[in-house]
Amino acid sequence: MTTYSRVKQTLVSLKGAQANLERYSLIAQDEAAKKTFQRSAEKLQLITDRLQKRIQNMEWEEPQYKGF
Amino acid sequence: MPSWLEIIIRSLSFIVVVIFLTRMLGRKMAARMTYFDLIYGIVIGMIAAAISIKLVDVLSGVIALLTWSLVGIGLSYLSLKSKGVRDLIHGREAVVIKHGKIMEDQLKKMRFSPEDLLQQLRHKQIFNLADVEFAVMESNGEINALLKSNRQPITPKLLGIQTAVETGAQTVILDGNIIDEPLTTMGLNRGWLRTELEKIGVSPENIFLAQVDAMGELYIDLFDDSIQVPKPTAKQLLLNTLKQAKADLDAYSLDTDHPRAKQMYEQCARELSSVIYDVKHLLK
Repeated sequence: MTTYSRVKQTLVSLKGAQANLERYSLIAQDEAAKKTFQRSAEKLQLITDRLQKRIQNMEWEEPQYKGF
Repeated sequence: MPSWLEIIIRSLSFIVVVIFLTRMLGRKMAARMTYFDLIYGIVIGMIAAAISIKLVDVLSGVIALLTWSLVGIGLSYLSLKSKGVRDLIHGREAVVIKHGKIMEDQLKKMRFSPEDLLQQLRHKQIFNLADVEFAVMESNGEINALLKSNRQPITPKLLGIQTAVETGAQTVILDGNIIDEPLTTMGLNRGWLRTELEKIGVSPENIFLAQVDAMGELYIDLFDDSIQVPKPTAKQLLLNTLKQAKADLDAYSLDTDHPRAKQMYEQCARELSSVIYDVKHLLK
């Protein structure tokens, strides 16, 4: 398994986690919990954005991996 | 009319009267029986008994019963309105232990012996008087004690642990029937419930009881207890995913030779660990 595909996998699982956090922020009955979930989902968004950029860079540097 | 028949009729009719009277006197009596309430109950019972066994004639008995119960209703209304009346009738609470010291005068005033005090404390699982900081005798004679702060049970607050707010779970299925009202108070509907049940693979008819907690997780109990139902693990899984991703990011930052990428991974890992810290108590 190359680093490229591993980073991509992490990205995908983080995106899944982000979606879950957003779902909890909608379901949660407690206001404080709602806010915490919302904030965490926003933070994860920043992280996934950065990873996305990193993956693009990797594709640029080593085009042979693209698509894997 | 034979006398035995008369007694039966009197008893039956006064049972009905007493039922109404006790309903009118309110529920407070049974919940917090003070000495006054106790005596009041006994007197009303005795009058009713006296009438039914023909110790007094019906008219004077009914008059006595009515007077007692009307005054009782009036007094309970007055004692709701005024603190003075309340203290006069029911007495007020008395501090019997203060700063760990027994107030002997108060005990004497309440006709409470030291043995009674110890017995009451033992009833509350307190065997050592040294553990008590403060104790109050309520107006019904019950003793409530506050333990010294180092003897109090550990709470999450003492340990500085954050906990998720537990708003009570709502019961959404009882005896195989879906109950709509609690579902709507949670902001959910039958469609949601059906989807969740499909995920577990059971139909509502087989469920004896189902509850939804504040986080929208479903706990069910089936009629057939030999069937194993998957426990809700979504929250645990989410936490594990976050932890796994954090570990991965740490590994990438060690693997890569690219200085900017290294920095980026480290920052991501740091932010992710702060996210994990924030949501950990909510996902347990």
